[in-house]
Parts: sequence; C-alpha cells; structure tokens
Amino acid sequence: MPELPELNPVVHGKLRLAVLSLLATADEAEFTWLRAQTGSTDGNLGAQLMKLEEAGYVSVEKKFVLRKPQTLYRMTNAGRQALAEYVQALKQLLGGAIG
Amino acid sequence: MDAMETQELKDRLALIEQMMKAGRRSTESWGWTFVLWGVAYYVAIGWSALGGTYAWPVTMVATCVLMGVILSRRDHKPNTTMNRAVIGVWIALGVTMMTLMPALAISGRFADARGSIAVVCALLGMANGASGIVLKWRLQQASAVTWWGASMTVCFGSEMQALVVFMVAIFFCQVVFGIACMIAEAREARAMKDGAHA
Repeated sequence: MPELPELNPVVHGKLRLAVLSLLATADEAEFTWLRAQTGSTDGNLGAQLMKLEEAGYVSVEKKFVLRKPQTLYRMTNAGRQALAEYVQALKQLLGGAIG
Repeated sequence: MDAMETQELKDRLALIEQMMKAGRRSTESWGWTFVLWGVAYYVAIGWSALGGTYAWPVTMVATCVLMGVILSRRDHKPNTTMNRAVIGVWIALGVTMMTLMPALAISGRFADARGSIAVVCALLGMANGASGIVLKWRLQQASAVTWWGASMTVCFGSEMQALVVFMVAIFFCQVVFGIACMIAEAREARAMKDGAHA
C-alpha cells in the first residue's frame, strides 16, 4: 500500500491556509484587505502572518501612503510551492472521496 | 481515515477554492458604484428635463467627486492582474465619456438626443462586456447585451421613446444589477467569514 503524504502543519492552519490561498491570486495584498476577507481579528491574523513569515512563505513590506501606514504582504516562491504541495497531498489523501 | 477527518480535509479544499475565488473577484465589490451612477443618470435626466442647462456636466462631475471621496476611504484592494484589467476598462470608459460627450455637446454635433443616448449605451455595453468576459460573469455579460440592444433600439424611435429606453436600461443595468452585486458581495463575505475562522 503506498504511504500517505503528511500535511504541512504550517499551511494546514485554517486561517493560514485562507491567507495563503488569497495571496496566491494577488501580486500583493494589504493587511486590512486580508482581515476583511477572512473576517479575523487583528491579533489572530497578525500572529498567523508572522508564522507564515517565519516559515518564509510570505514577505512583508511596510510603507507610508499619504502619511498613512500600509502593510503589504506577498507570497514567496517557497509559499507558492508549499501551497501547491499541500493541495497535492490533500487530493492524494482524499483520493476517491472528492468528485 | 475516519469520516470526520475526511470531512475536515474536504473543508480545507473548499476553503482554498473559496479564497482563491474571492481574490479573483473584483467587480462584485463595486456594486454600489453601479447604483450610484444609475441614480446620477436619473438626476441628470430629470434636471435637464426641468431646463437645467448644465445638468449633465454638473451631475457627472459631482458623481465623480463623490465616488473619489468614497473610494479614498475604502481599504486598499489587492493588486491582481484581473483587478487591473477590470479597473482599466472602467477608467478608459470614464475618460472617454468625460472627454467625448462635452466635446460633442459644445460643438453642437449632438442636436439629436438619440445620437448621444446611442453612444452612451454602446460605450456602457462595451465596458460591461469587456468586464463580464474578463470575470467570466454571465450577469454582467447580460447587462452588456441589454446596453447594446438599447443603443440600437434608440436609433429607430422618437426622442421620447429613446429616453424611455435609456431609462429602462439604466434601471436594469445600473440599479438592479448594482443591487444584485451588493447582495452577492454581502453573501460571499458572510460565507467567507464563516469558513476562514481559525
């Protein structure tokens, strides 16, 4: 019997997975947009983004636009690859359960 | 793997699809602008019927300013290729309308109101059509077809009939379409909030 793949625990977290999926479609996205799309709190989202940043899956850029602070997040190549591998593993685990 | 684990993994897969769809969609969060412009057209039509010489330029400029103020207070949208394509179409339409229409009016080339209504309807059809194709959105494609139909129809009736056709098209393609967008956006936002909580 072929060995079942393990799911990447960093990607597996529900909010982290939501953030990575959103960032996969955008060149860059602001913190406030990610918060609005996921319906999460500042604290929770900030903590999950930090974990993704530590894993090297997202990069952050802080700047001022019209004197207002803006925090932009981008998905790194490692993040893109991790998400692709996660989806692949998920499909493999589910096997015939998805139709 | 038990049924509960299988369901959890399926939920994860559904969450990925849902978030990617949300990231790609952009026009739905612009529903209010369709309603705003629909109301603006009605105000301009009503005002000019009452004899307001500057009804159209004043209403259009005021609506642009109002939209700019509202947009400046909104959160920054993600920078995606699709967003840029859709926004580009609408900016191009705005610039075309704001330059061509005053030039035609001032030069007196639009003595027949049917001509101006046909041009406006055709331009709105083009913008909705391009946006609807980029977003693969049937409702917006239907809106484009309605505008194109209106632009052809107004060429054949009286000026009053043309005005009625224009107002009916505004109702369906701006007001009804805009409200439908806003409802869909609110529904999607609710579904995402339910799905993304850690």
